[in-house]
Amino acid sequence: MTPLKTVGHGTHRIDALQRVTGGAKYTGDIHLPGMLYARVLRSPHPHARIRKIDVSKAMALPGVKAILTSENCDVTWGSGDQLNQRRLFNNPVRFAGDPVASIAAIDRHVAEDAMHLIDVDYEVLPFLTDVEEAMKPGAVAIHEGGNLSLNNQRQPQPQVYKRGNVADGLKAADRVFEDNFTSAHHNNAQLEMRVSIAEWKGDKLTVHAATQGIANCRTDIARDLKIPVDNVRVISEYMGGGFGNKNQCQDSDLMAAMLSKQSGAPVKLEFTRKEDFVAVHGRWSSRQSYKVGVKNDGTLTAIQLTALTGAGAYRKSSCDLSGTEIYQVPNLETTVSPVYTNTAVAANYRAPAYPQGVFGIESLMDDVAYALKMDPMEFRLKNMTRKFRDQTAYTSIGLEECIRKGAATFDWKKRWNPTPGSGAGPVKRGAGMAMGMFGSGLGRSSAVVRLDGQGQYYLHVGVTDCGTAAKTTMGLIAAEELGIPLEKVKVVWGDTDTCPYSVGESGSRTTVQTGMAVIEAVRDLKKQIAEKGAPKGNEVLTAMATTNPQQLQGESRNSFAAHFAEVEVNIETGHVIVTKFVSAHDSGRVVNPLTAQSQVQGGAIQGIGMALHEELLYDKRSGLPLNAGYYGARIMTHLDAPSVDVVWVETDEPYGPFGAKTLGEPTIIPTVAAVANAIYNAIGRRVKSLPITRDKILGVLA
Amino acid sequence: MKAFSNVNPKDLKDAASQLQQASKKGQAATIVGGGSDVLGMVKERLVTPDVLVNLKSIRGLDKVTEQRGEIVIGGLITLDALSRDPVISKNYNVLAEAAGHVGTPQIRNAGTLAGNVCQRPWCWYFRNGFPCYKNGGKTCFSITGENEFHAIFGGGPSFIVHPSDTAPALVALDAKFRIVGSSGERTIAAADFFQLPTDNPARENVLASDEILAEIRLPAAKNNTRGTYTKIMDREAWTHAVISVAAVMEMDGQVCKSARVVLGGVAPIPWRVPKVEALLTGKRITPELAAQAGAAAIEGARPLGKNQYKVPLTQAVVKQTLMALGA
Repeated sequence: MTPLKTVGHGTHRIDALQRVTGGAKYTGDIHLPGMLYARVLRSPHPHARIRKIDVSKAMALPGVKAILTSENCDVTWGSGDQLNQRRLFNNPVRFAGDPVASIAAIDRHVAEDAMHLIDVDYEVLPFLTDVEEAMKPGAVAIHEGGNLSLNNQRQPQPQVYKRGNVADGLKAADRVFEDNFTSAHHNNAQLEMRVSIAEWKGDKLTVHAATQGIANCRTDIARDLKIPVDNVRVISEYMGGGFGNKNQCQDSDLMAAMLSKQSGAPVKLEFTRKEDFVAVHGRWSSRQSYKVGVKNDGTLTAIQLTALTGAGAYRKSSCDLSGTEIYQVPNLETTVSPVYTNTAVAANYRAPAYPQGVFGIESLMDDVAYALKMDPMEFRLKNMTRKFRDQTAYTSIGLEECIRKGAATFDWKKRWNPTPGSGAGPVKRGAGMAMGMFGSGLGRSSAVVRLDGQGQYYLHVGVTDCGTAAKTTMGLIAAEELGIPLEKVKVVWGDTDTCPYSVGESGSRTTVQTGMAVIEAVRDLKKQIAEKGAPKGNEVLTAMATTNPQQLQGESRNSFAAHFAEVEVNIETGHVIVTKFVSAHDSGRVVNPLTAQSQVQGGAIQGIGMALHEELLYDKRSGLPLNAGYYGARIMTHLDAPSVDVVWVETDEPYGPFGAKTLGEPTIIPTVAAVANAIYNAIGRRVKSLPITRDKILGVLA
Repeated sequence: MKAFSNVNPKDLKDAASQLQQASKKGQAATIVGGGSDVLGMVKERLVTPDVLVNLKSIRGLDKVTEQRGEIVIGGLITLDALSRDPVISKNYNVLAEAAGHVGTPQIRNAGTLAGNVCQRPWCWYFRNGFPCYKNGGKTCFSITGENEFHAIFGGGPSFIVHPSDTAPALVALDAKFRIVGSSGERTIAAADFFQLPTDNPARENVLASDEILAEIRLPAAKNNTRGTYTKIMDREAWTHAVISVAAVMEMDGQVCKSARVVLGGVAPIPWRVPKVEALLTGKRITPELAAQAGAAAIEGARPLGKNQYKVPLTQAVVKQTLMALGA
């Protein structure tokens, strides 16, 4: 790969100074004159019908300016449920935390006091917290049509994918392995909680949002409030993370807008940490059952997966399971059923369907390898994907190199224990690895670039930077294409009034989609300069591009990864420490190695937390959550995080900006399985449910 | 949070009388030391005081001093200062280690010793406002609920575990607590300060509503005494003990002359294990003896549905702690 001048060199974020000195104004830092503060009253019951809401006492409290309930606010929150079943205030309420009322007052204390003055008469309904219970005949229906949600064809049937014939494949196998794995609902736990500020001027609405995509947020707000898109402006200049739970528009954006409309004043609505855990969403849980057929030489003949996934109370995302596609296998059948329960909603969290699915398949494949007396790494090299779904060629694939280079950096042959659990103890050491992949499609996005008579370049991109350094990435791509240093490009971001459509920082697609728009806009600008000469004095040249790439025919664009973990497990205390971690990634050309490395390290640390700690736990008898928040969820701290070595496999990728592929989400995909496999290698027993906590480790060792 | 007033008493007597006055007026009063926990509880409305009595306005209650051979520690000393105090680190390091394991640096910088000792439980039913014994109700939801972190000893009718790191260390050191009330003061043994739920399931200690834990007194340090605190955590910071062991041994050469071993995270109070202490007395600390002590420590354990793992865990950690201390 030819080295480039700007792209490919580690570069600090262009807003790093503002961020670390407190100069960056996050949404929560914004105060508008006359602004009111809002709070949300939430259902204390997992499932209940509201007979009556009496807000008269609350409304009479001095300082209270507006109250919304299902009785005076009939707004459907479109991005809160793919099937349009979710309003801002629902009746019946379907989980503990479902909004019942929202109050705007002169300060938060008055708003909170008012919350306690609202009388709600609930008819408590039977509830479900368990997906298997929810699928039993006679279980209370959480939505009309029952607790099995719809598949991609909008039918109340499981989502099914098939190729070949699994029955034949299992028959052709020398050995068949069957096992079950479960994963827990856990929260995105990003630093910044949900916060929205809404202000109307006439029929024009401005929303200061904390969003991963200002353009989508804007169109969602317009759609849900039934107002023209032109009347909505969304601003999000600095945001404090989302990991997928700030895609699109939030109910907080809509509530703030409706409260502002009712009160005639700007309104700020900020969730508490507990609300952010219970009332937003986390990663969907899963119950996975696998059958795998294999020849004695290690060749796979069939994989069958049947799974239930926990959608929670509404259907906010796909609730699918991914992971089987990392294997080459002629016969595959996956059947995934998203199930409603009266628990927190599940939706996108960094590679939404992957880490839990990969945990299942990669745990089982590890067992298969050991049973066949094969090195798990060799087993993967033998069976890893060569073509997407065994049919479509990849535009580029560096998976084998990820495994080989990652293993070399990790020193796999030395660290891996051929006889699991054979250490002397009580502290036993083990090593594990796993693979991952993620789609890196191209798609529509826009950019505007401008050059003034003073030689200053302006790049307008509708990014907010959810932690990916997107502002810097876009600047680097423009600078590279212009052949100028980054400092000469002023990046303009985060405001729908000044920035064109950008795809939204979800699906790890900003670099590849908006990045292409930047390149095309710059090429147009260069053409204009060549034709008209550089602008002088008050002159200005502007170029814009909206990419609309053709879907690749006969090719699939994907990123790949292999992760390697070493753990120490104290078999007397069940204590696990991750002592070494290597993440090897093929994301094509790396645009900014400095921030990309941070992404990979962050993904691994988040994945270790998912593997070892995190689960939103419910009390079964009351249907109420018990451990919402940073303390209870046992989110990783700095002391828990190992140093993560990052290995780049820069494939020569023909598409994408300078050959870049997707990175953000793949970084967490193999982590959980790698840790789980390392624990197995250390103790010789397998924990098959996430998180792998002390009680489970001591349980399998007992 | 509910609106409240704040008073800044000038001394302990004043603070106690403020508490008494509030009580007379039918007001709820809450004592604030470092405030690292109680202010969160006020925000969550787990406590809804009319008056906060701010002890930080009282001077001189944050020192370690020597008085007639005893070491006197002011209740307002921060956990961080305590963990770094040269006298405590040298002669009572079980306490320095325990204080150094609390929460996070931020919590240790704000939180006080007396506050840590008097900390309310971290049972998730209590903290989520379930109407349990601790919240004035008549049931303990953990018994048939999610009881992974609940008591294996001394439970019933409430099965909380005492959350303090410093409390087991203070019991192991045979500390005395000076308590100041509106009508006088009393000094009691640390072990007598903590109260089983059978005595009063709503509370964890014997403090009356107008009483303040003012000072902690440690007996003069003996030569050849060693101690240590082992805390098992589910992450490396900012969590309470899954279980912990505070152990203090007075040695005569290689032989243990006397021992005090107190468990944390296993019972509603710091849980002393006299059988372990008796087993150690007069013996050399060998791996075999440590293993016997681990087995003795879990005698009588009565786990609930999901905290069975705490039994072998306690056994192993007692063994490991004693081996480390005897080495």
